[in-house]
Amino acid sequence: MLNVKSIFTKITENIDITFWISLLYLLFVGFTAIYSASFNNDNLTKFVSTQGAALGIGVIGMIFFAGFNYQHYKHFYKFIYIFSCLLLVSVLIFGMEIKGTKGWFKFPFFSFQPVEVTKIMLILVLSAYIDINWRYIKKLSVFIKTLLITFGHFALIMLQPDFSSTLSYFPVTLVLLYVAGAKLTHIFSVVLYGSLAVSIPLLTTFFKLQPELLETNKVLSFFVNATSQWQNAAIILGSVILIIVLVKWFLNKLRIPIGWTYPVLFLCIIIAGSFSSIVVNKSLKEYQRKRLIVFLKPEIDARASGYNIIQSKIALGSGEFSGKGFLKGTQTQLGFLPEQRTDFIFSVIGEEGGYLFAQMTILFYFLFVWRALVVARQARDRFGSLIATGIAVMFAFYGIINIGMVMGLMPVTGLPLLMVSYGGSSMVSSMFAIGILISIHIRRFY
Amino acid sequence: MSWSNENRNEYLFFTEKHKNIFLLLLLIFFLLSVKLFYLQIVRGNYYREVSEHQRLSTTHERAFRGLIYDRNNNLIVDNITNYVALFYPFEQQYMPSEESIEKLSEILQKDIKKSIETGWRYGRVVKLAENLTVNEAFKIQENKLFLPGITVVKEPKRRYYDAVENAHVIGYVNELRAEELENMENTDLRVGDIIGRCGIEQSFDKYLRGKDGGLSFEVTAKGRHKKMFNYNAPTIGNTLYLTIDTDLQKVAYKALSESSSGKGAAIVLDVNTGAVRAFVSCPGYDVNKISYVKEYRKYLKDKKLPFFNRCIQALYPPGSIFKIITFVAALEELKYNYHIIENCTGSFELGDRFYSCSSKKGHGKVDLISAMAYSCNVYFYKIGLALGVRIIDEYAKKFFLGEKTGIEIASEKSGFVPTPDWKKAKTKMSWLKGDTAILSIGQGALWVTPLQMANLISAVSTRGISYQPYFVEKVRDSVTNKIIYLHEPVRNEKIELSNYTWQQLHKSLKAAVEYGTAKRTKFNDLKVAAKTGTAENPQGDDHAWAVAYAPADNPQIAVAVIVENGGFGGSVSVPVIREILKQYFHITEPDPEEDENNKNNKNKKNIKNNKKTKNKKNKQKNVKR
Repeated sequence: MLNVKSIFTKITENIDITFWISLLYLLFVGFTAIYSASFNNDNLTKFVSTQGAALGIGVIGMIFFAGFNYQHYKHFYKFIYIFSCLLLVSVLIFGMEIKGTKGWFKFPFFSFQPVEVTKIMLILVLSAYIDINWRYIKKLSVFIKTLLITFGHFALIMLQPDFSSTLSYFPVTLVLLYVAGAKLTHIFSVVLYGSLAVSIPLLTTFFKLQPELLETNKVLSFFVNATSQWQNAAIILGSVILIIVLVKWFLNKLRIPIGWTYPVLFLCIIIAGSFSSIVVNKSLKEYQRKRLIVFLKPEIDARASGYNIIQSKIALGSGEFSGKGFLKGTQTQLGFLPEQRTDFIFSVIGEEGGYLFAQMTILFYFLFVWRALVVARQARDRFGSLIATGIAVMFAFYGIINIGMVMGLMPVTGLPLLMVSYGGSSMVSSMFAIGILISIHIRRFY
Repeated sequence: MSWSNENRNEYLFFTEKHKNIFLLLLLIFFLLSVKLFYLQIVRGNYYREVSEHQRLSTTHERAFRGLIYDRNNNLIVDNITNYVALFYPFEQQYMPSEESIEKLSEILQKDIKKSIETGWRYGRVVKLAENLTVNEAFKIQENKLFLPGITVVKEPKRRYYDAVENAHVIGYVNELRAEELENMENTDLRVGDIIGRCGIEQSFDKYLRGKDGGLSFEVTAKGRHKKMFNYNAPTIGNTLYLTIDTDLQKVAYKALSESSSGKGAAIVLDVNTGAVRAFVSCPGYDVNKISYVKEYRKYLKDKKLPFFNRCIQALYPPGSIFKIITFVAALEELKYNYHIIENCTGSFELGDRFYSCSSKKGHGKVDLISAMAYSCNVYFYKIGLALGVRIIDEYAKKFFLGEKTGIEIASEKSGFVPTPDWKKAKTKMSWLKGDTAILSIGQGALWVTPLQMANLISAVSTRGISYQPYFVEKVRDSVTNKIIYLHEPVRNEKIELSNYTWQQLHKSLKAAVEYGTAKRTKFNDLKVAAKTGTAENPQGDDHAWAVAYAPADNPQIAVAVIVENGGFGGSVSVPVIREILKQYFHITEPDPEEDENNKNNKNKKNIKNNKKTKNKKNKQKNVKR
């Protein structure tokens, strides 16, 4: 164990200017936007001070995790996994329900969302498992076991249910498998399976919101009806089989021999994905499906599920180049922009700070992710590289999903913009993650 | 060194994949930046406008419509204030909530749910209740916290003085409906705007309509008003000065409504300009009340048809008034000697049919002047047959029959003058001499409006010079106080007749007052020329006509009166003219003695007794026609 003094010198020796400037910018912009978004609230400083307290706890945790040698995680990754699962189970039992999600522990002065911490634990566990089994990573069994680790968390979180928090799990898991050298076929199969299972019910919901379109477009209505009428589904399945056989025959004619393994695998995935879509359809409520897909065309449900996106786009767009000025954003101050402290904080920045600050936010967010990836590249061992990659990808996808959402490019999922959005648990866990990154960084030479 | 414990190749293998991930993320963040640029820079202006539009709510304050004065500067139309409760939509609420509807119903002590469903929308604004009392308006303002989005605004309401008498001149106003707006082009009107529906309100809508104003507010997403921006005061519409004399209107209306049937029309024209001094259709309607459904239905059901503007929309046969035209044509075309004396026996035989005279016994020996004065049909049958239908038609058209007078208010009828060609086309029968005979006394398929008759007698009085009748003398701009519209008399084509003809015509019309059918318009201090008519009506009782101008030697006004189904023109319509002349020339002379009134009554009874026989004759005639 290193003493405190040497930790301090290590940190100062290893200061990464870009990384810290990015982090400070994001924190600064976040606190400013939270202040602005709560300006009309009776308790003006409540949110800023809560966030400040969370940052304080986070920084203490960060220093602790920076000092702690990350390599130790590998030795007790199983305990971490069991502990994280226990956390998720106990929140199901003792947790408090907010907006229909049972995901918070309530304490006298604060509440705490365990999923924010378990997402980092999962990265540690996955990295450890992949690092230990990296020689067999191309084996299907290892691949599936890795997926199962993620699925355990996923299933527990879906019981709360908190769909949006699980969103970053898939890219993180797949990217970790990818950089560790898993078979591309496996990864591709999972991606295809997942996108089929999710997109079929969502697209059906989307088209059902536009009955006039279905009336004029017969082909489209045939596909939409396939979700409820087995005849249509059978015709589509039959034609898919026909196309696969034809393509294989054609490729053979071109003297590109393809065994039967891939076509059959492909077909199985399509069928499995289609059937899983029924499960997805059942597990998501109508309004959730609408909310997830309406971003493609928010006008079709402008007063309900599309309202948030429309208001967010108005807020962002109306900021123009230089913004409306601090505390002068009409969308924010008059309350047209929903969830402005949390999910739509980026719109507040865009409205009051304009393109200038919004683009800077994207830029610094990316620089932050880039520096985290650099930490992964410079790490001392594979385990460190995997952890850093996982954390970098997690930050990246939170940012992409959130910023994409407020600009109407992605579904409205309710993921915060890490380090910017209001929210104690996510702030604390972000700081922890940064602490782990520092821990990997400062130990790169030893 | 990185991955010091591992194979170098493994590390390179890792960095390669790591680089791919980095490039993927770079691409995604770049795309996000592009979208951000598109939203904020390319489309920024549009979204800025949308956000401005969203945060500003304008309450609409309707302008007062312009005032209307009559000829003597008496106010006949002005405005009062009416309180109206409106709902302004906010956030995702486009209708007031159940609770606020209940609360409002409680304050107003009536169920407003129905009126919301049937009421109009002003753009996106919903009207909840109107005609609120000041108390109710204050109560709603006090409870504003419980009534999100609901505001009370002042709205002008039209007030009409002497509403019943002036109804057909002024017309009325109401709200523009959505389906009407669809058919209008190049208009800045909006659904729910007040526009004139008929009469002067409609024809001069452009002048009367004011410029609406309003308050701009900043609203929160919850619909609360935050701060005021600017206030545009509404501008009142322009002031109209009419040619109408309200006192004359009242007298004419009273005389008409007290006449035998209570239905009819009276028109007074200034012969030197065409200005309409009185324009009464009886019965009228109270314009102030027709916005209430109950009253409106009552008027609709009234068999006397109060909404029917008899002055310009009703078509009657002119009856003996038409003899003026036959008279003129005879003197002009036949070089007719007015001394020619015919013997009237009370009926006239043509072919196998008898045509009756107005007097059953016959007028005995009459010349042209006395035939006119007594309105002897037999004399005019003979002239008419001598003239032939084509000449009569030609003269009828000279006196503007069969064409609109061009008065300023809408839906005027043009009337009809029959021709042999028309009859042939319509009934496939040729024009008979009998048709000519009845045309010459103003019967048959000849249709005129009372206004045309007023126009005719006006032209007669001034020896052929007449003007288009008009109502609006001038319009004064309400802001600058300048006259922005001044009527210039529009002269009709002059009716060219010889002096001799005019002289004889005037002589005969004066004779009708002196000793003929229009005796009741005789005054000691005022010379009057008049002609009466009794138009036979196959559907019911005869229409009583009378036209006059005065003073006979220096004409100022021309009057035309019809009492629908009134009976004999001389006894029913002439008294109306007498009342009008008394008012116009301020004559205090008493009416002829009581006895005569009693006689009148007797006459009326006699007429009623005669009617049965007359009707029989009519029926015979109808068959033959």
